[in-house]
Amino acid sequence: MLGNVERLVWGNRELILEGLSVTAQVCVAAFLLALVLGLTACLIRLYVPLLRPLAIGYIEFCRATPIFVQLLWVNYAWPEVFGFPHTVMQAGIIALALQSSGYLAETFRSGIEGLPAGQREAALAVGMTEAHAMRRIILPQALLTMAPSIVNQLVVVIKSSTLVSVIAIPDLMYQAMRIVHQWFEPIEVLTSVALIYIALIFAISAVARRFAGHLRRRYGLGGET
Amino acid sequence: MLEALSQSLDPALFWEYRQTLAEGLLRNLAVFLLGAALASAIALAVGLARMSRFRALRAVAVGHTEVFRNVPEYVLLVWLHYVVPILLSKATGAHISFDPFLSAVLALGLAYSGFLAETVRAGIQSVPTGHVEAGRALGMRGSVIARRIVAPQAARRMLPEALNQYVSLFKATSFISLIAVEDVMYRVSMVASYEMRPLPLYTGAALIYCVVIITATTTIRLLTDRWRRRGWV
Repeated sequence: MLGNVERLVWGNRELILEGLSVTAQVCVAAFLLALVLGLTACLIRLYVPLLRPLAIGYIEFCRATPIFVQLLWVNYAWPEVFGFPHTVMQAGIIALALQSSGYLAETFRSGIEGLPAGQREAALAVGMTEAHAMRRIILPQALLTMAPSIVNQLVVVIKSSTLVSVIAIPDLMYQAMRIVHQWFEPIEVLTSVALIYIALIFAISAVARRFAGHLRRRYGLGGET
Repeated sequence: MLEALSQSLDPALFWEYRQTLAEGLLRNLAVFLLGAALASAIALAVGLARMSRFRALRAVAVGHTEVFRNVPEYVLLVWLHYVVPILLSKATGAHISFDPFLSAVLALGLAYSGFLAETVRAGIQSVPTGHVEAGRALGMRGSVIARRIVAPQAARRMLPEALNQYVSLFKATSFISLIAVEDVMYRVSMVASYEMRPLPLYTGAALIYCVVIITATTTIRLLTDRWRRRGWV
């Protein structure tokens, strides 16, 4: 058993690390894109009455469609309609971002709506423009209160990213399956990969939670986490 | 692009393959219902174990929750389907292999039991201790307090979050096709490669899921709203 671990896992450590780095790239890119898309959808929903139904439709669609379906949809249907994405990597990032942007939009909305109206009114009273008040007063506070939910969404992105191996993005799961198919010995590789994911997600959520708690305490929002 | 956009919706294609697609969707529903039942049963046991008097039991429950909340569902699915049968075969000496359907139910049931266990714990802990003490002061037995005072309140508080978890569980049934359960996505992929028309099929699949999930959650919210508010407002 241990000999197998050495041969199959340690022997393939370069492949596994390569996969891990692809996983990291996909997750970071998708999460950043999701933050931008989510914030845009949320702001449109709250402040642009004309486009509001569109934003609601977008948010509901993203939330009610499974990530796997979105992945195949973006990968196979989008190139015919929109002419992109050009690579599987782009398709994977877009699909993951779509999924999370729906949830993040709702998170942002509850964060912004949960803020006392006096905050915005005070900002306007001292002569800030709406945009300035949003950027300097409302968003920073909303982001802090919403930090735990945002961290959770990052965890969801990492967990969902295992599925991008299906459209042949060489992430950690893809490399693991390749090693399995090469040797037909799934036990050691799959178990190690599962443990890597658990440790990774556990570490990230622990660090992010601590960081968010620190920020919240520092700015007086009482970090209970 | 406009032409492609108009091609992306093709109800006739879905009507043509309605039977095979509906069969696939039923398979998803079966996995969902069994998986949800399994997840709820485990979650109830683990959620209660987390509040047990015995430290060892609490530690096991915490371990269960942390592992299954943090492992990606797809990794768990593949692991259960390919690794566990081999381990069992080695342990028993007999040749054991899991039917993909069984693996799917076990994997999704286990994966979501972690989240649901947290929901159960939060629900039970949200019942004020004063209510339990009041019950005791009136001479109720522990089992009566659990059944008549804690359970009805906890269940109402758990419902919205549990519903979210069940929706996620249903969404997760979309990738059981990856271990060859012949579910709706399996059939969509088959038809897509047979007809060489991925565009309308994958768009349609996304819309099917969207409609099913939004209809189901809205209906359940409407139906349970009165029950949930009874005695509260």
